[in-house]
Amino acid sequence: MFKQLLLLLAGLMFGMSASAAGNQYTLGVKGVACPYCAYGVEKRLNKVDGVENVSVDIGDNVVRVTMAEGATLTKAKARTAVDEAGFTLHSFSQAQAKQGKSDEQ
Amino acid sequence: MSNKWYAMIAPVITTGALVFSAAPVTHAAPNTFNTALPVAQGEFIWREQAVFRERSSGGPRDRDVSIAALASVLGYGVNSRLAVFGAVPYFFNKDLDVTTPMGRINRDTDGFGDVTAFARYTLYKNDFTGGTFRIAPVAGVTAPTGDDDETDRFGRLPRMLQTGDGAWEGFGGVVTTYQTLQYQVDAQVLYRENGRHDGFARGDETRFDTSLQYRVWPASLENVSGTPGFVYALLESNLVHRDRNDVGSGVDQNSGGTQWLVAPGLQYIGRRWIFEGTVQLPAASNPHGDALEDDAIVRVGFRRNF
Repeated sequence: MFKQLLLLLAGLMFGMSASAAGNQYTLGVKGVACPYCAYGVEKRLNKVDGVENVSVDIGDNVVRVTMAEGATLTKAKARTAVDEAGFTLHSFSQAQAKQGKSDEQ
Repeated sequence: MSNKWYAMIAPVITTGALVFSAAPVTHAAPNTFNTALPVAQGEFIWREQAVFRERSSGGPRDRDVSIAALASVLGYGVNSRLAVFGAVPYFFNKDLDVTTPMGRINRDTDGFGDVTAFARYTLYKNDFTGGTFRIAPVAGVTAPTGDDDETDRFGRLPRMLQTGDGAWEGFGGVVTTYQTLQYQVDAQVLYRENGRHDGFARGDETRFDTSLQYRVWPASLENVSGTPGFVYALLESNLVHRDRNDVGSGVDQNSGGTQWLVAPGLQYIGRRWIFEGTVQLPAASNPHGDALEDDAIVRVGFRRNF
């Protein structure tokens, strides 16, 4: 009985932590070639409603965006933010849902 | 155009052409000119530079000029293509040693100089993976906000020693940037027309500036995650031609000329901060008469993105 309770509790905790992780997106951005430029992209994307974290892998030319729980990032919003930073959105894909959410250009 | 002029400009153009044809680069910006400073929409960029400049002339006056100044620049991104900038120098000391009939004398002054405002519009942009190429016209004005009538015990200071020019000036040109993850090249051609005030007009100026910034650290971005700081080695070139100054109804035969400066330096590029330093040294000179020429210019400073 005690063992079953522990298993149930562990399952609940796993479920809660899984649902707390927000949607993650991977953006391919053209034009970013130095840390200073990367900061401009991060700053513009951080102003989008629901964005929780932005990180730039400059060597791979990708920007990873994590949204708050329940929030989504549209391609249009991502494109606007990248444009405002002075760069060009090249590709947009949702990292978490691998079932057909990718929208490569 | 004289043979001397050709001899001076040819290596610069050749160097620029080689640099451009050689390949790719990024967006960190030169240290010896401000027009290529990158700024995103709604963001500010702030640059502070300590500038130490030594100038001299030959001839019977044997002038030596030392300048210590702080150059402040603030830029703002109106939108993704249009950026506006304001710049003002503060002269801690402008110091002149000159030989006169009374012997060798020293004169100096300090204070704020003329304020410059300019705008840059990115007319052409070609972003590619890990790089960008941009062409942007630049135009601006310099307002006569600095003092131009300072005096000392010998009387009114000479115009070149005043902190302000006394006249409005306008300038325009084109700046280009080619940037990759490994290096960046910036170049600008700029023409400055100087106004006349109180019987004096500084000679108009034409300049061609280039800057190569090459990433020396990290040497490779393979297996590097995130966005580390970069260290660039700089090599910049400034070719400047100044017309003779107008004085009264004539011209000052000992003013203006052409000079080519070369500036090695270093730059640390972080996400929000940039620290940079260069030393501009004369590579070739063709002054008019005994006009003042630059002997060395040291620039040390930082930039912050906010």
